[in-house]
Amino acid sequence: MKHTHKTCGSPEHLLHRRLFLQGTMAASAASVASFNGLFSVPALADETKRQGKKCILLWLCGAPSQFETWDPKPGTPFSGPFGAIPTNLPGVQISSLMPKCAGIMDKLAVIRSMSTEPGEHFQGIDVLTRGDKPRQPFIRPILGSVVAEQLGHLDSPVPQFILLDPCPEGNEFKGFKAGNWAGWLGAQYGPVRAGGEYSIPNLNKLDTISDIDHQDREALRSFFSKKYENDRRSQAAGSLNAAFDRVKGLMSCAPLFDLNSLPETDRQRYGAGAFAQHALQARHLIENGSTFVMVANGMPWDNHVFQHEMHQMLVPELDNVLYQLVTDLEDRGMLEDTLVIAMGEFGRSPWLNEARGRDHYPKAWSMAMAGGGIRGGVVHGATDPLGHEVAEDAVDNRQLFATIFAALGIDPHEEYDLPDLPTFLRVEDGVAPIQQLLV
Amino acid sequence: MKSITLKEKHRHKLPMGILSMALLPDGVGLVAGCMDGVYLTSIDKSREPKLLYSHDNYVSSVVSIGGDTIVSAGYDGTARWFDLAEQKVTDSVKLHDFWSWDMTASPDGKHLASVTGQYLAGGYKYEPQEESEPSIRVVDVASKQIIHSLPHVPSVQSVAISPDNQFVAAGNLMGEVRIYRIADGELVSQWTTSDFTSWGIIKSHCYLGGIFAMQFSRDGKHLLLAGMGPMRDPMAGNGKQLWQKWDWQAAEPKMIDQTHEGDAGEGLMETLAVHPSGDMFAMGGRLRGGDWNVALFDMQTGDRMAILKLGFRATEATFTPDGKHLVIVGTQGQPSKPKGDGFPDFGRVEVFAIESEAT
Repeated sequence: MKHTHKTCGSPEHLLHRRLFLQGTMAASAASVASFNGLFSVPALADETKRQGKKCILLWLCGAPSQFETWDPKPGTPFSGPFGAIPTNLPGVQISSLMPKCAGIMDKLAVIRSMSTEPGEHFQGIDVLTRGDKPRQPFIRPILGSVVAEQLGHLDSPVPQFILLDPCPEGNEFKGFKAGNWAGWLGAQYGPVRAGGEYSIPNLNKLDTISDIDHQDREALRSFFSKKYENDRRSQAAGSLNAAFDRVKGLMSCAPLFDLNSLPETDRQRYGAGAFAQHALQARHLIENGSTFVMVANGMPWDNHVFQHEMHQMLVPELDNVLYQLVTDLEDRGMLEDTLVIAMGEFGRSPWLNEARGRDHYPKAWSMAMAGGGIRGGVVHGATDPLGHEVAEDAVDNRQLFATIFAALGIDPHEEYDLPDLPTFLRVEDGVAPIQQLLV
Repeated sequence: MKSITLKEKHRHKLPMGILSMALLPDGVGLVAGCMDGVYLTSIDKSREPKLLYSHDNYVSSVVSIGGDTIVSAGYDGTARWFDLAEQKVTDSVKLHDFWSWDMTASPDGKHLASVTGQYLAGGYKYEPQEESEPSIRVVDVASKQIIHSLPHVPSVQSVAISPDNQFVAAGNLMGEVRIYRIADGELVSQWTTSDFTSWGIIKSHCYLGGIFAMQFSRDGKHLLLAGMGPMRDPMAGNGKQLWQKWDWQAAEPKMIDQTHEGDAGEGLMETLAVHPSGDMFAMGGRLRGGDWNVALFDMQTGDRMAILKLGFRATEATFTPDGKHLVIVGTQGQPSKPKGDGFPDFGRVEVFAIESEAT
C-alpha cells in the first residue's frame, strides 16, 4: 500500500489533529510569543498530552559495552572489573553499574542478541538510526523524522523532532550531524537542535514590533516565498519556508527549552550531567507536544582507551536516567504511549585491548527499550558464554526497526510514495517485528 | 654524561594481564598483581609462575613490606596481607567502597596508602562530583588500622610516600596533587596542573587522562609526576608522553622540568621508577604514537638517556636493589579466543640490564 497521508489514518487521529490545529490557531491568535498562551485552552493542553504515541531515543553514541550494561559475563576472562547483580527478573543479571534498572527490569525489554553489519561509527550510526544500509544516492529518513512524519503534527508550534546534544564536536557523529537527517521526507521533518551551546537564540519578538505587525510581516513573507516555491518548484525555497515555520513555532514555545524552568527536585533526581538534564527535558518536551526527542551527548561511549574509567561514569548515569524516565512516565500515565529506546551503533569487543579499552563489536551486542507498545520484563536472545556470538534469536537492524515501528503503531511494511524514486519500504523485505517484544 | 644501553636479559609471560608488581627482598623473586590475582614468579624465569591468591576483582597494586609478607590492593576495595612462608592470606582490610586505583608502602614498611574514587557527573559539563568516601586511606601496617582518611577530588589514580616516610602524595584525573603529612594528616601542599588531563572536547565532556604515577626523588625534595598531556582525541589516548618534576616544598609549588621537546611521542604513561642511585628515573606506559613506551631520564638534566619499544603496555617498572636491572611488567591485548584448554598468556615480564659508558 502506498503511503499518501501524514497520519496513521485512524478517524480518531484525524479528529485529534483537527482539534489540535484549531486550538493552535486559537492560541496563536491569543499570543504568538507566549507558551502559556499556547496552552491557555485546557482542551488543547489535554489533547496535546493524549495525542497518540511518542518516542524518546537515548542515543548512546560511540557504542556502549554490553558487558558493562545488559549482558555481563561474570566469572569469565572477559567480564572486566565490574560485577553482575541480580534483577527483579528471576535468573537475570545485569551489570553492577545498573542497580536502579535492576529494580525495574520487569518494565524493560532488553535485546541481548543484536547482530549487525557496520563496524565503523559513521556507518553504524547511519544504519542504527535509519534502520537500513544506504542505497546511494537516496537518503533514508532517520527514525525521528519517520516518527515525526507519521505521528507528529507538522503544524504544531512545538517541534515534533528534537535533538538534544550539547557537543558540537563528536568526530563521526559530528559528520553525521552535519548530514541530511530527514532524507526524502524533506527538511520539515528534520530535527530542531538544542542543548548546551545549541541554545536557541533570537526567539523573542522585539518589543518594538507589535503582535499585529509581526503576524502581518510573517503572512507577507510566507505568501511571497510560497509563491516563489510553487513557481520555481524550488526544494531550497521549500526548506527555507519550513525553517521559517519552525522558527515561528519555536518563538511560541521557547520556555520549553529552558532547563532552568524545570523543577529543581526533578533536575537533581535525574542527575547533574548534560545527558541526564536533557533526558529530563525530553520528558518535558514529550509531555508538551513533541513526538520524538533524541538525547545524545557527543560520542562518549567510544572507549578504545579508558574503558573502565569512562564506563564508571557513563553507566551509572544511564542507569539513573533510564530509571527516572521510565518511572516518571509510568507515574504520569504516559509510559504506555511513550517508547523509550536506549542504544548505540554497536557493542564493544569481549576482549580488552592493550590500552584497557574495548573495541568496536557489531556481531553480538545489547540494547534496551521500555513502554510505548513494548512488553516489559523480556530479555530477548542470548549470547554464548563468552559473548563472542549470538547464541539465540539474532536480531538485526531491520528486525529492530520493524519492532519499533510496530510498537509505535506505524506500519513497518508501508511503501513510501516517492515520485521519481525507486521503491522504498519503511522496513525492506517484509522483515517481521519481534512479537515477543510487543504488547 | 653517561651513555646508557638497555639490553634484554629475560622475558616470560603470565596467564593474565599484569597491573602491578613488587620485587621480594632477595632481589630475584617477583610478585605480580594481575587481573585474576597475585602471582609469584621471578625476574630470571627460575621460578615457574604460580597463582598465590585472588581478590574479588582485579589486583591493582602489590607491595613487599619485608620478610615474607606482601600486601595487595584491588578493585574490590580491600587490602590483603599474604604470608609467603605460610602460603596463606592472613588478613583482609576494607579500605574503600570503590576500587583501590593505586596503593604503596612507606620505605620503612610501617604505612600503606591507598587511593580511590569514582568519577561521577557533578555538573552539567561533567565536572566531577564530590567524593562519597575519603579518597585517600593511610593504614598502619602493624595494627592494620586505618589511621587517616584524607580528602581529594575523585578519581585519584596515583599515590606515593616520601623516602623519609613522612609524607603521602596523591594525584587525580583532573591533574590535582595533594600532599599530606602522615604524622597528623595535615595538608602541606596542593596544586593543580592542567598538563596531565584532557577536557574531552571532541567526543565527550569529561576529564580524561590524569596523573597515573608519582614518585618522590631520593632526596625527597622533588615530586615526579607521570601521565599524558592533553589529547586531541581523548578516546584515542593520543596525548604527549609526559613527566614533570615539581619542587613541592616551595611556598608556591613550582614545576622545574618536564619531558623535553622532541623526547616524547604519544601515549598514557602509567609508571615511574627512581633508580637506587637517585641519578635517573624510568617512565613507561602504552605507546600510541612514537618510538618508545619506556624511557630512562637523567634526574638532574631531564635528558632522555635510553628508550625501549616493548610492544606491550608497561604497567609497572622498577629497578633491582643493586641498580643493575630494570624490570618491567605489563599486558598485551587480551586474546580473543581460547586455545586448547584455556586462553593464551598475555601478561608480560621483561628484564633489561643497564649498561653504561662514559661519553
